[in-house]
Amino acid sequence: MANYYDIDDILVEEEFVPLVFHKAVNGVKVDESIEKSYIAQGSKLELPFWLAHELHLRQAVSISAPACFNQKTRLEIQADAACVDLRSRCLYFYKFGCKLAPLCDKTIGFLLAYAFGLRYKEVLHKAHTVAFTAASKFLSRLTKEETNLYEAAQSSMMSFKKWRMGGPRLHRAAILGRKRKVDE
Amino acid sequence: MAGQSDCQLSVFSPEEIEFVAEDELVEIVPNLRMDSLNFICGDYGPFYPQIATQVPLWLAVALKKRGKCTIRPPQWMSIENLTQVLEGERDSHAFQPLPFHYVEISRLLFDHARDDIPDIYMVRSLIEDIRDVRFHKVETNLEKFTASSVTCKNMSAMEVNIIRAFAGRALEAFYKHENEQQVPDTDGIQDRQLQIPNDRPKRNLKPR
Repeated sequence: MANYYDIDDILVEEEFVPLVFHKAVNGVKVDESIEKSYIAQGSKLELPFWLAHELHLRQAVSISAPACFNQKTRLEIQADAACVDLRSRCLYFYKFGCKLAPLCDKTIGFLLAYAFGLRYKEVLHKAHTVAFTAASKFLSRLTKEETNLYEAAQSSMMSFKKWRMGGPRLHRAAILGRKRKVDE
Repeated sequence: MAGQSDCQLSVFSPEEIEFVAEDELVEIVPNLRMDSLNFICGDYGPFYPQIATQVPLWLAVALKKRGKCTIRPPQWMSIENLTQVLEGERDSHAFQPLPFHYVEISRLLFDHARDDIPDIYMVRSLIEDIRDVRFHKVETNLEKFTASSVTCKNMSAMEVNIIRAFAGRALEAFYKHENEQQVPDTDGIQDRQLQIPNDRPKRNLKPR
């Protein structure tokens, strides 16, 4: 695990990936509904990335690209990257892609760079101009990484506008406003 | 840091940038007699009525609030200069040279020394226009971002601060994806591949 204390990193690795077992494994029950307690060689399963990654390092499985990087998504991104609803496919599209690329499909790297390059411009325009309420539909298409970017821009723009409008220059610390509680 | 809204998102709040800008020098004309003031940042004064002198902006504002001086608006805040700058901004792609803290200085002067600036409405609207044109330019610059080349000359403190968080993150992402492309990480994986238990060198122990 690259970043032990990063909650996003942990969540990324929860994503399921399809894989094929190269070895028969005994004494393992991946699916509760199945009676047998072993996995035959060549069986196909979906496991979380963190587990698949460890198995891959031990050369027990081979990982194939999950649904969010399939041909259909690729074609949609090529057609108009800005309009693709990446959030519904995978919340951590870019991070997940970066982790997957060296394990199963090198071309994911190109796909990510291409998609980000185009979608970045869209985020840029919306973040600095459009009012927050109008952007909600657009926001629902963004992945977590893009949302972070959007919120960074929005918040610095908001604080600048607040500063420009003026207002009290000195603020009372939150703790001073409290009333003392009287003990019974 | 005090006054900071969110330590994750923006490194400086606009209030902090304003605080930094208050160290810029302005010319004042005092109407009192006072010995020179000795601060850590330097000595200012002595002050004689009707003799102009240079002081930091925060001191000028403090004296102005007490009615002890008039502030002379800086050279660049004249209508002729600002019109020229605005035209330059509209005509060319590059940013025109303006003081690094022009947004903050102008706002402080508009707030506290409105009677000292001739044609304040004109000056104010010119500066607003310049700021809008420049920020639009900042956005078009951001559009051209790639991981390898970023050049922006003559950007002011506030303009930099507005895009600081966004641009930092965007560049980070660009850098990451660009690297991902160029170095397909095959060797790293091979090295990290754990050894299969069977291949592990066995200890040669004497048979009992």
